[in-house]
Amino acid sequence: MRRFVILATAAIFAASASAQLPGLRRRPPVPPAPVLVGIDALRADFVAQAGSDKVYFGGDAAVLTAPAQATLGAQAVWLRRHPGVVVRIEGHGDQSDTREHALAVGARRAEEVRSHLVLLGVPAEQLTTMSWGKERPAVLGTSPEALALNRRAVTVLVR
Amino acid sequence: MTVRSARYLLAAAALLAAPAAGQQPAAAVIAIPPITTPDSDSGGAGSAAAVAWQASQLIAADLRTTAELVPIGPNQKDYYSYPEVTAPTFSRWRAQGAKYLLTGFVRSRADGRLTVGCYVYDVVKGGRDIDRIGFVVAPGDWRRAAHKCSGLAYSVATGSPGIFDTRIAYVAESGSLNERVKRVAVMDGDGNNQTFVTAGDTVVLTPRLSPKADQLVYVSFVGGQPHVRLADLGSKQQRPLVPGAGMSFAPRFSPDGGRIAFTMQTGANADIYVANATGGSIQRLTTAPGVDTGPAFSPDGRRIVFESDRSGTQQLYVMNSDGTAQRRISFGGGWYASPEWSPDGEWIAYTRRIPGVGLRIGVMRADGSDEKLLSTGPADESPSWAPSSREILFHRAGPDGRPALYRISIDGGEPRRVATPLDGSDPDWSAVLD
Repeated sequence: MRRFVILATAAIFAASASAQLPGLRRRPPVPPAPVLVGIDALRADFVAQAGSDKVYFGGDAAVLTAPAQATLGAQAVWLRRHPGVVVRIEGHGDQSDTREHALAVGARRAEEVRSHLVLLGVPAEQLTTMSWGKERPAVLGTSPEALALNRRAVTVLVR
Repeated sequence: MTVRSARYLLAAAALLAAPAAGQQPAAAVIAIPPITTPDSDSGGAGSAAAVAWQASQLIAADLRTTAELVPIGPNQKDYYSYPEVTAPTFSRWRAQGAKYLLTGFVRSRADGRLTVGCYVYDVVKGGRDIDRIGFVVAPGDWRRAAHKCSGLAYSVATGSPGIFDTRIAYVAESGSLNERVKRVAVMDGDGNNQTFVTAGDTVVLTPRLSPKADQLVYVSFVGGQPHVRLADLGSKQQRPLVPGAGMSFAPRFSPDGGRIAFTMQTGANADIYVANATGGSIQRLTTAPGVDTGPAFSPDGRRIVFESDRSGTQQLYVMNSDGTAQRRISFGGGWYASPEWSPDGEWIAYTRRIPGVGLRIGVMRADGSDEKLLSTGPADESPSWAPSSREILFHRAGPDGRPALYRISIDGGEPRRVATPLDGSDPDWSAVLD
């Protein structure tokens, strides 16, 4: 029963996400993707089509903001068109956090992105997660701007 | 290393606990005249005389790193004869203001090894030694014997175990700050004898030594997922603590070395578990939604302090080591993280994260009272106790973002840099070795 409700919710979410994206509803089912050769070409296409491979978070939070949800909506469309692609969602903390807590926060952010993509209809088999904690800052320094750019989850195509 | 005679922790605790319980006693002067030798063949490298001179210098250097003792010497002109090891002339040291005197000898044996003996005296009272210690060591192990002598002097003066014959594990860092090369390194407590345990081909974090400093747990990203690994420092063998499990981190040994507490991540949820160091049974200790991590055992192994955000912000909690009776002990603003129980059981050190200020090292009593911040930040973390329970080792990132190791007294004062060949983070200070 519970599983049914979740599936139904996922279907509604997926439908509403599609509704925001012009073109998709007129041409169901999802058209075959253009043939791209090599992971680098796929990655470039993913970033170009989805707008970004990254979403950003508020301080100490794993809550998806409206811009983050919009980005994930576009990522979900691309991933559904490329069912053979597997991604690794890499969550990051920022330098103001302690080492071990940052690992947990990064994992939380990656999981938040993963479950949102599943809600948008991406098969769970396409999605893996990991956390970098605060080990791979995108931007150096401890300014509020630098910290904000490091609190992120990156959708990395692995194959 | 064979212990020949060791009257450890004699009545010194009782004798010396009296001067100023609760307030910081002034540093005491200890005279370190050159350790002598009864050997007639003196002078050559590796001879008993040469080792005696090097050991004297090392003992003075050890004691100079403490807040409680001020060594004078060694000075060649203060050389004494072998019989004077046990019958020193107190008056000359009294005249120099010394409270303690350390004498000793190094004698070569027929089997090629060395006998090392050390004696500590109360210069003011005179009479026979307060305590003595002796070893038979291979010539290459003279440093450990000297560290043991330093430890003897320190424990006589303070009542706390000496901190010199110890090991420090830490993460040696190099390369760009965006993508640091990190290697687990282990060195003697005085910075000598550094060796790398991992090669630098994958990110590694938070090494922790077993009580005997013969094993190490740490976090490795090898294979893509951060997970706890257990390394044997003798055989160099290493393996995942929990084979096949997903993400795990924050490992700490139990005081008997038999168990390892750590955190396992499942989806958005992080909980604390305990595993046998030999593999096998795993027990889950926390079930709260959110992040429970940073578990650290009390010295009797019966309780665990940890950090949890179950109240909304990261705070410190204590539970029994079977997971029962969880209760919050920190209530200040900001966040509390990476708690560590002091070896004497009295204190809990932690990293406190204060918005607008940064990360600072603090201590509180094990019941949460008497909280005080020790370091000024803004990027100090990963506290680890000295075996004396009087000092804390931690790392501080400088304005350029590069971390270095520092030690700070729990009585306050400025932290002092601990030299490492490369940048250093995530330090762990072992107990005094057997």
